[in-house]
Amino acid sequence: MSRRHMIDLDQISAEEIEEILVTTDSMKEVLSREIKQVPALRGRTVVNMFFEESTRTRISFELAARALSANIVNFTARGSSVEKGESLIDTVRTLQALGADMVVIRHSQSGAPYLVAQHFHGPVINAGDGRHAHPSQALLDLFTIRERLGQLAGLKVVIVGDILHSRVARSDIWGLTRMGAHVTLCAPPTLLGPSHYWLATWPGISISHRLDAALEGADVVMALRIQKERMQGGLLPSLREYSRHYGLTPERLARLGEHTLIMHPGPMNEGVEISPEAATAPNSVIEAQVTNGVAVRMALLYRLGG
Amino acid sequence: MNYLIRNGSIIDPARRVATVGDVLVVDGKVERLIDMAEMGVDLGPLPEGTEVIHAGGCVVAPGFTDLHAELGEPGYEQRETIATGTRAAVQGGFTMVCAMPNTNPVLDCAAVAHQVAAIAQREAQGHVALIGAITQGREGKILTEMIELAEAGCIAFSDAGRTILDAGVMRNALAYAAALNLPVMSHCEDSRLGLNWAMHEGAVSMRLGLPGLPAAAEEIIIARDIALAEDTRAHLHICQVSTAAGVALIRAAKERGVHVTAQVSPYHLTLSDTWVLGTLAPPPLPLSAATPTHRGKGKNRRNTAPELGLPSWLNPNLLPPYDSSTRVRPPLRSEQDVEALIAGLNDGTIDAIASGHAPRTRVEKECEYGVAAPGISSLETALGLVLTLVHRGEMDLVNTVARLTEGPAQVMGRSPATLRPGSRADIVIFDPDRMWTVERSQLASLSKSTPLQGQQLKGQVMLTMVSGQVAFRRGEFGMHGRGGPQSSKITGIFGNVE
Repeated sequence: MSRRHMIDLDQISAEEIEEILVTTDSMKEVLSREIKQVPALRGRTVVNMFFEESTRTRISFELAARALSANIVNFTARGSSVEKGESLIDTVRTLQALGADMVVIRHSQSGAPYLVAQHFHGPVINAGDGRHAHPSQALLDLFTIRERLGQLAGLKVVIVGDILHSRVARSDIWGLTRMGAHVTLCAPPTLLGPSHYWLATWPGISISHRLDAALEGADVVMALRIQKERMQGGLLPSLREYSRHYGLTPERLARLGEHTLIMHPGPMNEGVEISPEAATAPNSVIEAQVTNGVAVRMALLYRLGG
Repeated sequence: MNYLIRNGSIIDPARRVATVGDVLVVDGKVERLIDMAEMGVDLGPLPEGTEVIHAGGCVVAPGFTDLHAELGEPGYEQRETIATGTRAAVQGGFTMVCAMPNTNPVLDCAAVAHQVAAIAQREAQGHVALIGAITQGREGKILTEMIELAEAGCIAFSDAGRTILDAGVMRNALAYAAALNLPVMSHCEDSRLGLNWAMHEGAVSMRLGLPGLPAAAEEIIIARDIALAEDTRAHLHICQVSTAAGVALIRAAKERGVHVTAQVSPYHLTLSDTWVLGTLAPPPLPLSAATPTHRGKGKNRRNTAPELGLPSWLNPNLLPPYDSSTRVRPPLRSEQDVEALIAGLNDGTIDAIASGHAPRTRVEKECEYGVAAPGISSLETALGLVLTLVHRGEMDLVNTVARLTEGPAQVMGRSPATLRPGSRADIVIFDPDRMWTVERSQLASLSKSTPLQGQQLKGQVMLTMVSGQVAFRRGEFGMHGRGGPQSSKITGIFGNVE
């Protein structure tokens, strides 16, 4: 195992993604047993360092670590020494001295996991950093798509929403294109940033400002969460207009083929970027994403810490 | 102590002199230049107590003038002090440093100016010139007492890293300073275009998910300030130009006669935003592949000759991704911007190379990229960085020295540092071919924050003389003759001297 950390998918190979997805299959099998636990990481201590609020990702990693019999400790910024001005580096050194073997980190600053990795002796898994990356989310998206559609190569995936601020998009693009899928990013220009930067950064993707056109022939459509702060920042005139033109409305749901997967990394703003009808449609795999998330995170913990 | 600097390659841009010869320093002044034609001629007895400094193979030039450095004192002594900052300066070849006013208290009134001047008088290793703030507290609202600041010795005005966003205030500042004949140094950044920015906005910031500062944030302030300078007939000086469009605006303004000058930092001339990628950046091209095409569309660029023993390209891969040492204001820009800055320096659009020395503490730097303080400790690596361009054939050595000496002096409206007999002996001797590796723990600056840790640079200061006294000497440089004149391999202009 050459990889020490899982911080982003920038330099991952298709072979390694393939291996992770195969490992995830085995982990999913473990989770289907009556006793959902294997002793793979018994005696190892995993620390969930969450400097940003998160429920689902933290619980998902926690369940994954427990299923592998690891000790898991939750460290959240609230009530911790971080509020007293302790630096990230010092926090990491302290956790290391306390005996942590692996670190799972969620942080509001892009790149923070790289800083942690420089000061921690063990593996570091990024559970989302700023706008930069969310590799476990992207891997569970890949796993879910492949589970449902049988393959990734040649698929057309539309990601719609606040691309500019999305770490999920930044990881999904790497993973999907590495596996041969085609990605269309769809958003109003203020939530996308200059298109030419995207095209220069990820050649081979497409940019669209019109969702209806982008959805033509799509195999997968993934809606991203719209944060209300974006309007205060002047990026959107209103949620109403956004929802009408970029939301997965019941009308758009009706026009989609019934084989087009509907995805969302959560948490959803129902009625804004996705309607309740779309979220619960038969071709929605949003719950499967959550379920698969535990198996993917088990695979990552196992491969890095095993 | 008197000195005879022997067999150096003398470059004195102010007098358009480039020759091989000797420089005699007596009583703190340049006594005499003996050039090639006179070599071997019996000089007669040297003055009593004259030390011979053997400078064969080295360039002997007037000491460098730095238009833009933060010396930390008073208020930020944990970042830098006047003593440590000027020690770093002389190690980097700068005999004159213009101190930025972002101290605490801000250098915005004569009392603080007198205090800083007194500390400098007592502790500085080189000359220190003061820059006063444009507005009180650097708040961009009320003008400082510029007349009194000028009387207290300030040679220019700047709000140091802050832009006066109110154009009306800036217009008044320019008009007021014009009566004093002093430049207003404008930091050009409309921060409203990049709230909480961490780096240049471009493909790299898009990939790393860091908030970006678009080039337009600089361009619109440069354009605004040029219009105001034209209107007020004031002397506008653009600090740290970093964008291609900014260079173009300055060029056009100069052509129509606006009194605008500009400076650029060594790191903006040589490093781009890909340095923030660190190990994620594409590896540097091998030299053989790089010569004809690498980032080159300029016609007279890349005329490098392989036999010169060129340094390896600066390698961003030595840094981890998101290394906060690359965070600086203005941010490291794109490769195209770097190209334009070099072109601007070559055609005279940009007058001076200024260190942009911005010392920051470990606490300020050893944190997440987005919250790390912008700033690079650059006095000691400035020469090595710009010589990289000379070694690559992108800049001419004489012009490079001119932008470190004559250029900044002209911005300040002072007579340029020179080796003309009778002038104060502020002299730098550097070996343009000496390879060295940047080791941050060896920096004299209190601030060790540099993106160049571990990089190989070619060209290093060997000795710096301030007012005729040796302020810095590397090892035992110059104490032992090498037996006859040496020629610098890179200069070309000197040919082989035997």
